[in-house]
Amino acid sequence: MRRVEQHKWDCKFFMFGNWNEWYLAQGYGGNATSFVQVRQQRQWQPPQRGWLKCNVDADFHNGETITSRGLCIRYDTGQLIYARGFSSLLLCNLVAKRLEKFRPTIFTQMSMLAIKHEAISLGQGCPNFDGPEFVKEAAIQAIRDGKNQYPRGYGVPDLNVAIAERFKKDTGLIVDPDNEVTVTTGCTEAIAATVLGLINPGDEVILFAPFYDSYNATLSMAGANIKSITLCPPDFAVPIEELKSNISKNTRAILINTPHNPTGKIFTREELNTIASLCIENDVLVFTDEVYDKLAFDMEHISIASLPGMFERTVTMNSLGKSFSLTGWKVGWAIAPPHLTWGLRLAHTFINFSTANPLQCGAVAALRAPDSYFVELKKDYIAKRAILVEGLKSVGFKVFPSNGTFFVLADHTPFGMENDVVFCKYLTKEIGVAAIPSSVFYFNPEEGKNLVRFAFCKDEETIKAAIERMKKKLKK
Amino acid sequence: MNSDRVIRKEEMEGKLSRAAKKLTSSPIQELSHLAQRCNAINLAEGFPDFPAPIHIKNAAVSAINSDFNQYRHVQGICQHLAKMVKEMHGLDIDPLTDVAISCGQTEAFAASIFATIDPGDEVILFDPSYETYQGCVTMAGGVPIHVPLDPPLWSLDPSKLLRSITERTKAIILNSPHNPTGKVFTKDELETIAGACCSRNCLAITDEVYEHITYDNQKHISLATFPGMQERTIITSSLSKTFSVTGWRVGWAIAPASIASAIRNIHIIVTDSAPAPFQEAALTALRSPPEYFETLRREYQSKRDYTIKLLAGVGFKIQFIPQGSFFLFAELPDDCPLSDVEFVKKLILKAGVVAVPGQGFFHTNLSSDEVSNASCNYQKRYIRFAFCKSEATLSAVSEKLGKLLDTEGRLALH
Repeated sequence: MRRVEQHKWDCKFFMFGNWNEWYLAQGYGGNATSFVQVRQQRQWQPPQRGWLKCNVDADFHNGETITSRGLCIRYDTGQLIYARGFSSLLLCNLVAKRLEKFRPTIFTQMSMLAIKHEAISLGQGCPNFDGPEFVKEAAIQAIRDGKNQYPRGYGVPDLNVAIAERFKKDTGLIVDPDNEVTVTTGCTEAIAATVLGLINPGDEVILFAPFYDSYNATLSMAGANIKSITLCPPDFAVPIEELKSNISKNTRAILINTPHNPTGKIFTREELNTIASLCIENDVLVFTDEVYDKLAFDMEHISIASLPGMFERTVTMNSLGKSFSLTGWKVGWAIAPPHLTWGLRLAHTFINFSTANPLQCGAVAALRAPDSYFVELKKDYIAKRAILVEGLKSVGFKVFPSNGTFFVLADHTPFGMENDVVFCKYLTKEIGVAAIPSSVFYFNPEEGKNLVRFAFCKDEETIKAAIERMKKKLKK
Repeated sequence: MNSDRVIRKEEMEGKLSRAAKKLTSSPIQELSHLAQRCNAINLAEGFPDFPAPIHIKNAAVSAINSDFNQYRHVQGICQHLAKMVKEMHGLDIDPLTDVAISCGQTEAFAASIFATIDPGDEVILFDPSYETYQGCVTMAGGVPIHVPLDPPLWSLDPSKLLRSITERTKAIILNSPHNPTGKVFTKDELETIAGACCSRNCLAITDEVYEHITYDNQKHISLATFPGMQERTIITSSLSKTFSVTGWRVGWAIAPASIASAIRNIHIIVTDSAPAPFQEAALTALRSPPEYFETLRREYQSKRDYTIKLLAGVGFKIQFIPQGSFFLFAELPDDCPLSDVEFVKKLILKAGVVAVPGQGFFHTNLSSDEVSNASCNYQKRYIRFAFCKSEATLSAVSEKLGKLLDTEGRLALH
């Protein structure tokens, strides 16, 4: 039975999902646990009194269709067509068109589902253990020392130096801390500032799918013309011929994430050399997200900026969060030659101005960590990966090799569900383990429907407990 | 330098987006660098040089120690804001839907602009204005339209406002208490702005970061309290100025649910989360007792009075006493031949004190028919002094200026 009731005059409404449970669906997105995408409405008129009676066909995000009565809300544009309580269509069309392509994040949905069912979360890429004491102490000392006011917009000077030192150690490149390093609020903001500062509406940008969902959103916000090239299992190798046929003098930039979320792929030297020569030939910029560079397990992480002819056209981005298990501190950075730095710094100034001062001071200590810290970190994660991968295999998943990050992709089809979203919801509700359906990381969800992403940035007991639950209850 | 790196600067500069090319970097930041090099006393940048309140610092330390260090959204902030907004303004907001937490007011404002302004939309700003607003509007493809406030009292002439509104006007930006003048918009002026918004169906985006810093028993009135305004106003503010933690980057936008949701969507794209331990500390900050705010006001008022006495005493023309914020917009004496920029450079080099030349806050509309050099001369005669500084700092300024007085006790920098 399906029913829609209006809950409040400001357009919240409850719907029965197809498994007879109430979901709070918020008409304008954001924190909804599920939502309705209204695709077709019949003719309607504002009622004189009482409920708006109108039949609409609505799709749930996972493709289920229901028929409902009630409010007519265009979810994707936030355009209110009618709601009880308003005397006019005042709020129509207030939201900017750049949000039209925005899809709400799957993470919120899955997180809430996981909480509801007390599932063990191997979903979001967020550690359930904390960062190292020496880094936290440095931040605390900074607070006590009064470093609580605006720092220099492009970074606390010490941190820019520490970032440059680290970059030299890792890549051999010498960069100028004041003119080639910009501190940002996480790598997320580095990407936003880079894209807003360097990409014009209509510019062509190449993206590899599956991709971290904020890339697509940021590029859409900037009005870029996105071309997606899919990395396919089992080894997610870069399809060179497809890349060659898609890159041209019309391409403004290519965005690379290595080590790669969600596949765990590390771009090889051969692949990066090929990409580099294509970029030089066609005069294309490269934006790289290297936040998992310290979690490169089976092979070396290579920064494309270190290849010949590449530094002058590359923005290399990174952050503190993953290497130091402090994802909520939001300290990141972008390293680029002065003429590219200038553009991203301008955007950064106007969207954020500066990054938290005491936490930057903590980051200085982090980046100067001894080699032993990174050796331990890798060792730790390799052990966790082994537990998860062996565990998933023994449960019956087909697991793809992951060389880096703390993610692993697994094929769920042995369990007979029609797609990844259905599987993940089942896994959360019935088995009590949360994972992320990977179709959200593709433009065409079909390409990801067999794959789910598990995270192993959790303590070993948690991973083992999740495997136990799956062993007990998940049957082929 | 690595010899492999051949930098083709001009070609690469062509890689900047059109929006970025239109922007210039912050003049306030550049002056700060000069002042640093000269070791000048900084009355330019708007941040305190006295410590942040201990109870709030302790809360942050405690948060870091208690492992509040991963991605989070602290809903409690929204609850506290709903309570404060009700107590201060009588506004009812839903903490579940009407609040978006952001990285400072800067990001709340940027996200609000990106959430509502399409390329070509006109956005009205009152001049003089904080430099960031225009930059942000431009980046979103909007067209800034400046409505001048009239010196010496920076009053709003309703006809100037109404003349500037067109069918392309999407929003009016209101910063009150005002940077750089220290003006608190009067009830009449707010009514005029509210009336214009309602009758022409525009949004209002307010910057209320100085909401708790008002003087002489003036109360800050939020534009959203006027009839018909709550449903079309985005209020942005932050912890920074109220709690002297400008470096923590925790702010918010309060708006009707649909707009707040759009703002949240942009925030998620741009930064994803405000710093977690400081969100936690914000709970403590927002629970501060009334005495905290009274003391804040009292202490800033005494700094204001000291600064006015000092600067008026050495010859500055101060026709407008700031009613809010911690800025004083002082005019150069009539017989001073220097422009504001020339004067500030001398101030740094001779007196070891830095302030901000006012011209950076004034803007002209690109397509304005009204620009006339003579009438805009005043735009180069103002200097903004920030008095959010310790007593020791302000005394040091007095001492430094004291060494450069002529026989009539007036500042002589030549």
